[in-house]
Amino acid sequence: MRHTPPELLHGTLAALVLKTLAGGRRHGYAIARAIEDQSEGLLQIEDGSLYPALYRMERKGWIEAEWGVSELGRRAKFYRLTPGGRRRLATETAEWTRFAAVISRLLEA
Amino acid sequence: MRFSRWPWKPRLEDEVDEELAFHIEMRTRELVERGMAAAAARQEAERRFGNLTRVRKTCRDFGKGRDRHMRRATYVSELRQDLAFAARQMTKNPGFAAVAILTLALGIGATTAIFSAVYAVVLQPLPLRDPSRLLVVGERMASMPGMLSDVSVGNFVDARAGTTSFDGLAAVQYANFNLTDGVTPERVIGARVSAAFFDVMGSRPAIGRAFHETEDRPGADGVVVLSHRLWAGQFGARASAIGERVRMSGVPYTIVGVMPASFDLTRDSEDLWVPIAFTPAQKVEYDNHYLTVFGRLKAGATPEQAQAELDAVAARLRKTDPKNDGTLSFAMTPFTQQFVGDYRTRLLVLLAAVGLVLLIACANVANLLLARGAARGREIAVRTALGAGQWRIVRQLLTESLALGAASAALGVLLARWDIALVVRLGPSDVPRLEQAGLNATVLGFAVMIGLASSALFGLAPALQASRTDVQGGLRDGGRGATRGGVRDRLRAALVVAEVALSLLLLFGAGLLIRSAIALDRVNTGIDPHGVFTARFTLPEASYAEPSKVVEALTRIAAETTALHGVTAAAVSSYAAMGPGGGQNGLLPEGVPFALENLILSRLRVTTPGFFAAMRIPIVKGRAFDDRDRAGGLKVMVVSQALAARAFPGQDPIGKRIGCCEPGPDGGQDYKTIVGVAGDVRSMGPATPPGPEFYLPVAQAPKDAWSWYRTFYIVARADGDPAALGQPSRAALARVDPDLALFDARPMEDRLAGTLATSRFNARLLAMLGVVGLLLAASGIYGVIGYFVSQRTQEIGVRLALGATPASVVRLVVGQAMGPLAVGTFVGVAASLAASRAISSQLFDVSRTDPVTLGLVVGALLLVGVAASAVPARRAAALDPTRALQAE
Repeated sequence: MRHTPPELLHGTLAALVLKTLAGGRRHGYAIARAIEDQSEGLLQIEDGSLYPALYRMERKGWIEAEWGVSELGRRAKFYRLTPGGRRRLATETAEWTRFAAVISRLLEA
Repeated sequence: MRFSRWPWKPRLEDEVDEELAFHIEMRTRELVERGMAAAAARQEAERRFGNLTRVRKTCRDFGKGRDRHMRRATYVSELRQDLAFAARQMTKNPGFAAVAILTLALGIGATTAIFSAVYAVVLQPLPLRDPSRLLVVGERMASMPGMLSDVSVGNFVDARAGTTSFDGLAAVQYANFNLTDGVTPERVIGARVSAAFFDVMGSRPAIGRAFHETEDRPGADGVVVLSHRLWAGQFGARASAIGERVRMSGVPYTIVGVMPASFDLTRDSEDLWVPIAFTPAQKVEYDNHYLTVFGRLKAGATPEQAQAELDAVAARLRKTDPKNDGTLSFAMTPFTQQFVGDYRTRLLVLLAAVGLVLLIACANVANLLLARGAARGREIAVRTALGAGQWRIVRQLLTESLALGAASAALGVLLARWDIALVVRLGPSDVPRLEQAGLNATVLGFAVMIGLASSALFGLAPALQASRTDVQGGLRDGGRGATRGGVRDRLRAALVVAEVALSLLLLFGAGLLIRSAIALDRVNTGIDPHGVFTARFTLPEASYAEPSKVVEALTRIAAETTALHGVTAAAVSSYAAMGPGGGQNGLLPEGVPFALENLILSRLRVTTPGFFAAMRIPIVKGRAFDDRDRAGGLKVMVVSQALAARAFPGQDPIGKRIGCCEPGPDGGQDYKTIVGVAGDVRSMGPATPPGPEFYLPVAQAPKDAWSWYRTFYIVARADGDPAALGQPSRAALARVDPDLALFDARPMEDRLAGTLATSRFNARLLAMLGVVGLLLAASGIYGVIGYFVSQRTQEIGVRLALGATPASVVRLVVGQAMGPLAVGTFVGVAASLAASRAISSQLFDVSRTDPVTLGLVVGALLLVGVAASAVPARRAAALDPTRALQAE
């Protein structure tokens, strides 16, 4: 039987997207695959929840989109990080690290 | 394929659908690669995606917000760039910015100032309830068509009783009162009014009350309502003034109310009101016309209904009282129209004139911008090459223009404050409400509006030019001529044409008004105002009820004044000239059958003998009055030449008799014998031709005269400065009766100047604007020709090198200016001849198409135009050919 992936913590999806895009521009499917691959299948996001997040992040100016051609020759919408997104990623990472450290300290104490 | 519709930026709906479809397709492909069957893979992909409809809707919603935000962000950031760029341009070239802003600010400031005057006098609503329903009702006499004359008490009473479409009709009789408050009597202008007056006007006392109907009756009328001005000035703005008693012209009154400050409509409007309280005898008086009548239309009633009712009353009166009212009809004008008078046209002409100056200023700035645009051709070409769209460039240039316009408007408003003060101070004193001109919200709004409009106007030329920039050309020839010849030169020529035409229009208008003002100044008014002192006083009815007392007082006052040191001749008269007062009577020469149309309406002066000598009115035939003309003696009159010519054409009038002014001993005409003919006097001011006039001696005044006249003039000819006679005359008056107040004391020349003040002011202001316009146009022409020379330095160098004489170079360059100059002159002349209609009512003794003025103006303009282009032309001729050829 397959291991059920844990629920994604609220608000962490944005951080993961930002982290993924830090590696370069990607389209939505590639972002989803990257998160799945990087977490070695431990994290699985419902495909449908990714896109509203992307649009919201675009609205906030963290990422920007442009149309281009995918690896397979299809038109696709590519996202990339803006300077604002880069700053946001730094903040989120720092906060997450601190949060994780606190939680592990509490749990391991 | 659908994509072809949106190669780079799809519609939001397509964008979302396309993106989500792509995702599902990719996921399906992945599952198939892992070994799933196609159909099952597709199903699994859709399952993993979740609720497609909801996701799509959420994405679209977010997308919409995103797009709006981005559009705004882009716009703001571009605007910020443009503004920063504009500021950089200004600071980089402060001379240019200063000249442009100052030119415009002067134009905007002047236009704003005149607009504030127009607003205060014409546009600002009257502080009365629903002023559009307020009408002035007057009588129209057949002998004076087109004029509203005062209404007799009988006619007023009948009109009030015979109409239903008015909420009220109120009669007003303006009067002077001697307000005795302490030692020196104070003269105030007041009015006797119907009880309904305040309701009709649409205002009510701020404190206290208006009159009751019961107080509008003889015996009960000892109540007074004060103006705010008088209350604040004389009663210390005390609320306790209500109920206080004051003596006015010898009669006690109780203060019952104070009107609000807003009811002081003008700075010389009346200061107090008392009930008019007609006696039963007055109510049937149909032949004494001295009431101003106001009416307020009922809601729903039309002026036509009111007029029809008044017509019916007039028809009845014509039948019942044919002797006085045989040709009577009533007429009405809106109060606001009567209140503003012809200042409306005059002010609008001024506004148009400053508007023209502003337009010329705009043309000049447009010209400056074009010249700078030439220098920036390369910059614009580079930006275009780097991908800036044409619209983007145009927008940037417009933003620069707007920044310039905004700065100018801001400075213009500061200048306007000063301009307004100047206009109010120098403006004619009788323009109603001019003193209320100021910078209010409406005026500021106007300034901002014309600032924006100017920016659009002068920004248009450079923007047009930029939109046609040829990128390759611009880059190739180093921006020296981004649009060589063609468009830009045509634009420049058009600007010169506009400037020349506008200044011509302005100068022609100014020229016509100046010629009128000069003509008015030269008119012989029939009197010699130089050295004459005038002042007025009122004999109150309470203490001077007996005609004999009036005659005695007037005679003594005349004698006391004549005896003053430095006075060569003096008189007391019911009217002088060029001011308020006077009155007309219908005269019937002996032998002419009585009929209304045979009456000669003539201005009457009741005077003491010295009047002709004091005013230097020549007696062209017969004699002036003297001591022989006393009560009980032969009744005599002096007539003006105009009256003599009307009454006895081609005959010697001396010894002939004219009936007038009172019933004779037999109940018929009372005849007066003509003993002298006096020169004509332009009593209404130099602009009005003299009418028939006649003079009666004070000692033989008609029995009703002292109900027509209560206020009199002292006229005294001084052998020195007439202004110095103020104190001595006051003292002379006090020697006769210490309760009498002298007022309105000033030299006759002052009164004369007063009638000319408006036309002089307009002529002076327009002349100033004309000169400013001319200077601006000159600098515009200079700029364009200077540009032409700088563009063609090389060519001129070649010509000089090939042996062209400096004179031929000057001709070439000046010739360049002649084309637009000629076209501008032509357009300007055509526009002037059409537009001068607007000022034709203000012209005196000069045709509105006066060829002399037109010739002078065209000549001056051409001269200035040639001179302005000669300066750069001479610079061109002085070029050193070798250096000119190297110039790049």
